[in-house]
Amino acid sequence: METRPLGETGHDSTVMTFGAIALNWLEQDGADQLVELVLDHGVNHFDVAPTYGDAELKLGPKLRQHRAEIFLGCKTQKREYEGAKRKLEQSLTRLGVDRIDLYQIHGLEYEHELETITGEGGALEALREAQSEGLVDHIGLTSHGDPQLILDALDRIDDLATVMFPLNPVVAGKDDDEYDYEAVFERADELDVGTLGIKAFAKGPWPSTDELPERDRPYANWYEPVDTPDEIRERFDFAAAQGLTSVVSPGDPKLVAMVLDAADRYDGMSEEAQRSLIERLRHEQSPVPEQLHH
Amino acid sequence: MDVPTTVTTALADRPVTGRVCLEAGAGVGNTTAGLLKAGASRVYAVTDDGEHANAVYERVDSGDADRTAVLKADLRRLPLAIDSVDLITAHGLFNVLPPPWLESVAAELTRVATPGCHLVIDDYEPLPDDAAVRELFALENAATELAEGRPALTFYPATVLRRLFVGYGWEFDRQRTLLDPVPWTTGHIEAHAEVAQTAASEVSGELGASLMTAAERLATEIGAESVGQMYSVALQLPA
Repeated sequence: METRPLGETGHDSTVMTFGAIALNWLEQDGADQLVELVLDHGVNHFDVAPTYGDAELKLGPKLRQHRAEIFLGCKTQKREYEGAKRKLEQSLTRLGVDRIDLYQIHGLEYEHELETITGEGGALEALREAQSEGLVDHIGLTSHGDPQLILDALDRIDDLATVMFPLNPVVAGKDDDEYDYEAVFERADELDVGTLGIKAFAKGPWPSTDELPERDRPYANWYEPVDTPDEIRERFDFAAAQGLTSVVSPGDPKLVAMVLDAADRYDGMSEEAQRSLIERLRHEQSPVPEQLHH
Repeated sequence: MDVPTTVTTALADRPVTGRVCLEAGAGVGNTTAGLLKAGASRVYAVTDDGEHANAVYERVDSGDADRTAVLKADLRRLPLAIDSVDLITAHGLFNVLPPPWLESVAAELTRVATPGCHLVIDDYEPLPDDAAVRELFALENAATELAEGRPALTFYPATVLRRLFVGYGWEFDRQRTLLDPVPWTTGHIEAHAEVAQTAASEVSGELGASLMTAAERLATEIGAESVGQMYSVALQLPA
């Protein structure tokens, strides 16, 4: 599988990142099998978070077995020093490792959060301290919120190694600033910050719960995903062709094998084909940035 | 105002800023929006369809109203002076012009163009033989021929339109592919089926009824299809 330099980290990430939230929906045996499958395809970048149910615990055994092969991303939703420090310690314990390669401020949504994170006694202090202690190698940021806020964060946090944000043909077809994740990509690229794409496979928001109750939803994603091999491949190719470092797989384990196949076979996408996809989808609804909570 | 990527791509290498532009065949104003966004000093959005004229007018942001003139006019008789337009766009126009109109539209666009004027023609190559949408478009053409005496759609190859305008003194600049394949979405298919049905409703007797039924059936069967190519040809008049 193709690899690309992850910003200035010195690491080459596979063009697909395994979103380990998928492990949350599996028993331990199934989780082990899925991690083996992902590794068999050569994927070397994993992403997990303490908010993904017990995904950290289920990732643990195979992660420890294959630690050298895996670039491990984890996250914190805490915005202040103490909380972030505690969550990092908890994740290290739950994962059973002594170091996280990329520790990310998770799910930035509001300006005041950015103030807290970057201010005195903010989460960044804890992350930088952990970095100096060798618990964390690099610091990153994730958001499916307002692209302008992510741009602010890129301007204000000068040691960000990566940023994770939505990028798909639906948002690429919309002109309003609220959908302008391409501007985030461009700024990150200029700054040589690694780019991790999420929501590449989003078809749209789920119908209302009146129309389709949560228990009847066929996928454990917080948006409705595309779910055929051709659509998955098209979406993967589009996201990878934008130049992202890596495309993060969707949250439902049933979709992961199709994404692996798409990532294995990725060999670019012509500009006219990218435009075709945008034109086909630009009137669709986007699940970002309206639905912020996952 | 979302501007389709086809429009932004076609205009990307054209000098729009500060220019007086003509969107020939304004449709719902996609290119007018693109020209305004790209800094045109003035855009004449011309359409012979009253509903389209209203749609363009409503689409233009109030801040751009003083830069925009929506004209309901026939492209063969433009209400514009000789040598008055610096850049002309025809985005998805020619496929709705029947062959006998080509010369008079080309002559009229040339008349209003300044020396050095740019022309961008974005349109569709003829569809491949195995495209399902061909049947719907053929039916649409049959119904409009019967109702109005002219086809609704003609897909001209890029080379045909290029040579047409070269014959009027324009110089070829560049050609690029905008879409490959072209996404004929459910919305497009339904819109074409509706045109066919409207025309068929004016055809009396069993023939009209069967055309209407066939249009509905085809729209359902096809649903959506991505097929064919959209091109952009750019030309310029000698300065």
